[in-house]
Amino acid sequence: MTELTAPTAQSEVPQASLWKDAFRTMARRPDVIFATLIMLFVFTMAAFPGLFTDKDPTRCLGRDARLRPDTWFTGEHPLGTDGFGCDFAATIVHGTRPTITLALTVIILSVLIGMTLGILAGYFGRWVDAIISRALDVFIVIPLMMGAILLLSLFRGRGSSGNLLETVGPAALALTLFGWMEFCRYARAATIETKNLDYVTAARCLGARDRRIMFKHVLPNAIVPITAIVPTSLGSVIVAEAALAVLGIGVQPPATSWGVLLSNGTQWAGGGYIYLFGIPLVLLILTVFAFATFGDALRDALDPKLR
Amino acid sequence: MAENVRVVGDTLPGADLNAPLLEVDDLRVEFRVRGKRIPAVRGASFTLERGRTLAVVGESGSGKSVTSQAIMGILDTPPGYVTGGEVRLHGVDLLKQGEETRRTVRGNHIAIVFQDALSALNPLWSVGFQIGELYRVHRGTSRADARKRAIELLDLVGIPDAKNRVGHYPHQFSGGMRQRVMIAMALALDPEVLIADEPTTALDVTVQAQIMRLLKQIQDDRHMGLILITHDLGVVADVADEVAVMYAGEVVERASIHDAFKRPAHPYTKALLRAIPRVDTVGRELEVIPGLPPNPASLPSGCPFHPRCWAADPEKCSTEAPPYEEVAEDHRALCHFAKEVYRDER
Amino acid sequence: MGRYVIRRLLQALLTLFITLFLLHYLTALSVQIRGNPALLFFGGERTPDPAMLAQVERLYGLDNNCYERPGDPCLVPFVERLQNYAAGDFGTTLQGNRDVGELLSIYIPNTLRLFIFSTITLVVLAMLLGTWAARHRGGLIDHTVRGTTILIDSIPVFLILLAYVYIMAVPLTNWARDIWGTESFMGQLFRPNYNPDYPWTTIIIPGIIVGTVGLATLTRLVRASQLENIGSDFVRTARAKGLKKSRITVVHVVRNSMIPIVTGVGYTFAFALSGAVLTEGVMGIPGMGRMIFQAVQRQETNLVIVGLTVTAVVVVLVTLVVDLLYAVLDPRIRYD
Repeated sequence: MTELTAPTAQSEVPQASLWKDAFRTMARRPDVIFATLIMLFVFTMAAFPGLFTDKDPTRCLGRDARLRPDTWFTGEHPLGTDGFGCDFAATIVHGTRPTITLALTVIILSVLIGMTLGILAGYFGRWVDAIISRALDVFIVIPLMMGAILLLSLFRGRGSSGNLLETVGPAALALTLFGWMEFCRYARAATIETKNLDYVTAARCLGARDRRIMFKHVLPNAIVPITAIVPTSLGSVIVAEAALAVLGIGVQPPATSWGVLLSNGTQWAGGGYIYLFGIPLVLLILTVFAFATFGDALRDALDPKLR
Repeated sequence: MAENVRVVGDTLPGADLNAPLLEVDDLRVEFRVRGKRIPAVRGASFTLERGRTLAVVGESGSGKSVTSQAIMGILDTPPGYVTGGEVRLHGVDLLKQGEETRRTVRGNHIAIVFQDALSALNPLWSVGFQIGELYRVHRGTSRADARKRAIELLDLVGIPDAKNRVGHYPHQFSGGMRQRVMIAMALALDPEVLIADEPTTALDVTVQAQIMRLLKQIQDDRHMGLILITHDLGVVADVADEVAVMYAGEVVERASIHDAFKRPAHPYTKALLRAIPRVDTVGRELEVIPGLPPNPASLPSGCPFHPRCWAADPEKCSTEAPPYEEVAEDHRALCHFAKEVYRDER
Repeated sequence: MGRYVIRRLLQALLTLFITLFLLHYLTALSVQIRGNPALLFFGGERTPDPAMLAQVERLYGLDNNCYERPGDPCLVPFVERLQNYAAGDFGTTLQGNRDVGELLSIYIPNTLRLFIFSTITLVVLAMLLGTWAARHRGGLIDHTVRGTTILIDSIPVFLILLAYVYIMAVPLTNWARDIWGTESFMGQLFRPNYNPDYPWTTIIIPGIIVGTVGLATLTRLVRASQLENIGSDFVRTARAKGLKKSRITVVHVVRNSMIPIVTGVGYTFAFALSGAVLTEGVMGIPGMGRMIFQAVQRQETNLVIVGLTVTAVVVVLVTLVVDLLYAVLDPRIRYD
């Protein structure tokens, strides 16, 4: 069988085709297409809430409170109203932006921190590696949620004024601080592997600087495993946000996020207003599922031997 | 080694000791990948007698390793399937036997040595355990006796301090020593046929020679049939008795090693020989076979070698499948111009 | 082997020490920035008598000057804290003034029981599903297993719990009680909340639910490692040796697949701990998770720190056990 499988070459050219191949395999899978559509939908909702609703989520009329969505996606309030009489569709649509902003911020920061530290640790080894590895150990000991709980309860603010930075800032910071480790581990492993490849050694012998080697050779190789775990991590950050919101220490009211909606919705779920809990729940699960499915397929596509 | 004299019929019902030891007749193997059928072996035939060494030579992708796995019955199915032909051991067609018989044949009658001993040995068990496993499974030997046998075998294949080394793990051995362990394992049940699949390719040149000498010596001692699979004609020159040259899943030339080296009848064999560095070619440039081995999924029409062949007739060779020409006694080649190539002694 | 164990042990101790310091430093920072948590003792808003405040500060070990200098690592109180921990003194709660050590001795066994069930669920499910998917690689079963596990993993565990508590628990309990009676095993099993009279029975369902945390990851790991081993050269060698299929599976595949699985279980353990916080909160199980849950809501900083310390100790221990198991399973590590 060995003679029928193509050799796996490690050079700059296959790098490009690795991504192309991965893209092609993914585009053929129906589950990936479905997941991509959901992701696009959610991202559009976060970027352009005006496309989905013309109501203002902060304009609430007490006499309209708790209107059930009996009209089914038509009429004045397509998804009914919440306990304060705010249009629920508008609330959900406008709650998407903090949710997605938070998730993206956390992941981008985590990837930057994790990758930088991972590459430094893997490339320089010795004491740099020793220090970073020890830090990895310490942060891994405190699970993401626990760490976020700790930070947010220690430095709990007094509620925010409603600007995006203040609403998602503390939660994003807390989740980032305890979320960079996985990226660091993958980057470190990939760096160590790449560092000893012949063409990298050759580049070094030809007098290439450390920085050039890291950017030209190590980085492209470290990005592969990291990209593969990004979508799934995005999903888990959204879940973590929801859990923090239920604990009352996530995104701060009056701003809304899906987690805040869920947390408020639990009070109404038992009393016949299940849509206040169910709709954000379904949206959250669908989104996380889409990210996870996409991530799973991406990992397979980038590591074809396990397909 | 009195206990090695055993009745073949016990483990292989219907065996005829007058029949040749191992005959491979028109063996066909294909791989089925995503609905496509890719032929890997397209009718390979050769015979192996007791005490003889047959070298199966070919580039990677020529189907030589697949042939050996099909003989052993350890093809990965799927994707590999044996689609035709016979593999006769003492006249018994193994391909028609049930899994239980085939399992008994493996190790007992036919054993194999793989190329990369590091990955072919389980990293989590000691070498003693892995060798002793054969006795325990096939002979029901006790753990302690199996260990004793393992020590004897390690000693036999030239591993110093065998008593101590028996409890060591594969990663604690050097490449050459690991290959010796592999050989010891293959010899455990004193098989009649030993297949060595590129046994020295992963080793240093000096170690290569030691391993080849060891294989030859063991074969002489035990009077085994040895199939030596390699891509390197140079390695087999002083060890093999016969040669089967494979190209694109077919045996393109069969001859004694002497004839094959002296007067090859297939252009491919000739080209291979010219690519070997030799003392008498010092100063001359080595010849290279132009082009690449064909993709088994889309073989060239007619003779699959014609696009790379220096003797090909553009008309004939690209349309007609070549015949099996007998150029001399026990010397055949799969070529339209076998006789011409044979006559041309340059 | 000996050197490996000692090295791992020292590493674990070092990690634990740094973690404890980090926790301590964060607390100190929070006091330095946000002000004195001892004020909470007096209900927060009122300004208490300075003498009484000083007394309370002493009580909670906040009487050191370093708490007034932002950024000061407060090493003296850290050493005191470590000494107290070593002496089994974990302080008292701000509200109710209960001994935290005593609370821990009640809470830890409950959480342990929860984890026994969740770990069993996780490992058994992942092994079965992963093996099943690997056997049918690329087929319908493979895709279904993968899709289902991802879906289950996508639903936050506290939402599964809420759905269970609000939708399924009551009808199931009523149904079971009609058949087996209230005091039977089945009658208690489906209860929506924990019952201290049945400490094992009423913890099974929450345990199973927490066991779904990391299911997709572990199933994927099992599948991958099995595929890798089934297609490996040494399994081909084993077949060439004429071993039976069952023996190849047991001797040459399962043991080799265990290595990544053990790592995976250790890794998901930390996530399951997070799951426990909300699970115990929702189900009313008096365990470590609920303690942290409540401590956060009541702003009992000391309790959060103690809870996290215990968590850290547990994770370090589990990691250590995983590393040692690793060495037992893999001679390449043992003889490095």
